[in-house]
Amino acid sequence: MLELKDLTFSAPDTESKKSDAVKVIIDKFNFTFEKGKFYAITGPNGSGKTTLAKLIMGINKTASGTITLDGKDITGLSITERAKAGIAYSFQNPARFKGTTFRDLLSIAAKTDDEKKLFEIISRVGLCSLDFLDKPVDSKLSGGEIKKVELATTIALNPKFAIYDEPDTGIDLWTIDPMVKLLKREQKEQGTTTLIVSHNKAFLEAADVLLLIREGKIAYQGDLQGALPILNDLSLCNFSDAFKGEYDVRCYR
Amino acid sequence: MLDAIDKDLLKAVADLETIPKGAYNIRKNGELLGREISANINIETNAEGNGIIINIKPGTVNESVHIPVIVSQAGLNDVVYNTFIVGEDSDVTIVAGCGIHCGSSKEQGHEGIHEFRIKKNARMKYVEKHVALGDGKGKRSLNPATKVFMEDNSYAEMELSQIGGVDNADRINEAELGPGATLLITERVMTEGDQIANSKSTILLKGEDCKANIISRSVIKGNSVQNFYATLDARAKCFGHIECDAIIMDNGSNETIPSLIAKHPDAEMTHEASIGKIANDQLMKLMSLGLTYDEAVNHILKGFLK
Repeated sequence: MLELKDLTFSAPDTESKKSDAVKVIIDKFNFTFEKGKFYAITGPNGSGKTTLAKLIMGINKTASGTITLDGKDITGLSITERAKAGIAYSFQNPARFKGTTFRDLLSIAAKTDDEKKLFEIISRVGLCSLDFLDKPVDSKLSGGEIKKVELATTIALNPKFAIYDEPDTGIDLWTIDPMVKLLKREQKEQGTTTLIVSHNKAFLEAADVLLLIREGKIAYQGDLQGALPILNDLSLCNFSDAFKGEYDVRCYR
Repeated sequence: MLDAIDKDLLKAVADLETIPKGAYNIRKNGELLGREISANINIETNAEGNGIIINIKPGTVNESVHIPVIVSQAGLNDVVYNTFIVGEDSDVTIVAGCGIHCGSSKEQGHEGIHEFRIKKNARMKYVEKHVALGDGKGKRSLNPATKVFMEDNSYAEMELSQIGGVDNADRINEAELGPGATLLITERVMTEGDQIANSKSTILLKGEDCKANIISRSVIKGNSVQNFYATLDARAKCFGHIECDAIIMDNGSNETIPSLIAKHPDAEMTHEASIGKIANDQLMKLMSLGLTYDEAVNHILKGFLK
């Protein structure tokens, strides 16, 4: 359904002394997402998870390689064109506006300002109350509230391919399970191919396929059970190597 | 009585399709075009003959008064001094505004000074829009001034906007707040081309437990210039806040200076100010919902100035 072929992304290497040095973040990435499946991407910080997700949405520009959606090459398409083609993106740190309400964003996503239809979407999402509709999407919203707004606007698009970048950031523990159920329901009822970037076990367990990314490449693909040895290894602290010769070096990570 | 240009201007400044219901005073090219008073709202020309006095009886509730000004005569610079007396315990909406239609190369303008005397426990909403239309190249100037005197526990909400077409604007807002009075000023200004808009607000918080909140939203397009100065001067236990945001679109410039003066130990005042381009994350979000770049920009600006 969505095929990534030799996908590469690099950025200026700020740590290098050479001014023109570049750092490869996604390295000749190959993967095909199958229609209607639920994928989770995990991996250590800085491994390229969000970068990959943003490459698919067109927020990051591809250095080389191709992205194909339903047989059509979309590598050169803009964010808008990819959105119109059926790709949606739920941001890890959603934008906050001044003077724009949840109703405004939901109306754009749902392509209607019919209140009844907007209420239907809110009921379908189920995470926020109807009186949320006229709340400004500004700095006064809590971290959890704005993530619910983000999720609802993504679902309102009825996307073919939905990307959720760390959807549980700022969400209370009691909402995570309903959120997983919601995204699984959307997968089943709407046939949405779903890609979740997450460290949360609840999402990793829910995935049909788990992708573990390390240094811009797939380190593992399969179910969570098979990934656990690698994940456990990744959770070991390797900072202590950098402190050789120091006394009492401990990892508080 | 109203020609097509007048109707366009009235629609733009007062959302009026035709002559309004209730009390109104329409001034066109420096002269009275029409006036209607109501049982509770009286309008009369002042003794100097340079403006009107709008007298709202105590206890008048849910009534409105429209006082739009139209300037369509080439070369005219209209100056007025209007006084509003908002009686005790009343709750009214005042819709003012000035529309200039410039069809020639001659300068046109309007200088309106509005003085408000808001009596005890009265509530007033004041909506003022300024626009300039027309293809003429003459400079269009609008220099409004408001002076607000608020008595005990009165409340005033002032929405001041200038959305397009005005070449030069110098706005002055002054207010004095009595005990328990609340003043909320929201100013929205959009400039483009080589337009210049300056705004200076000075609010004196004199009475105990009074509150003032000034919000400014500026959109600066082209090579235009906007400067915003707001001062809250606290002389009592009070609360004050200034929030000013400016979006620079092209090569415009902006100077924003919020100023807080506390001359009382229990004054609580805050301010926040930001100047910058449209935030990239806002554009990304809207484009990911299917809007084009231009549609996203328009949506953000529309919301910002709403």
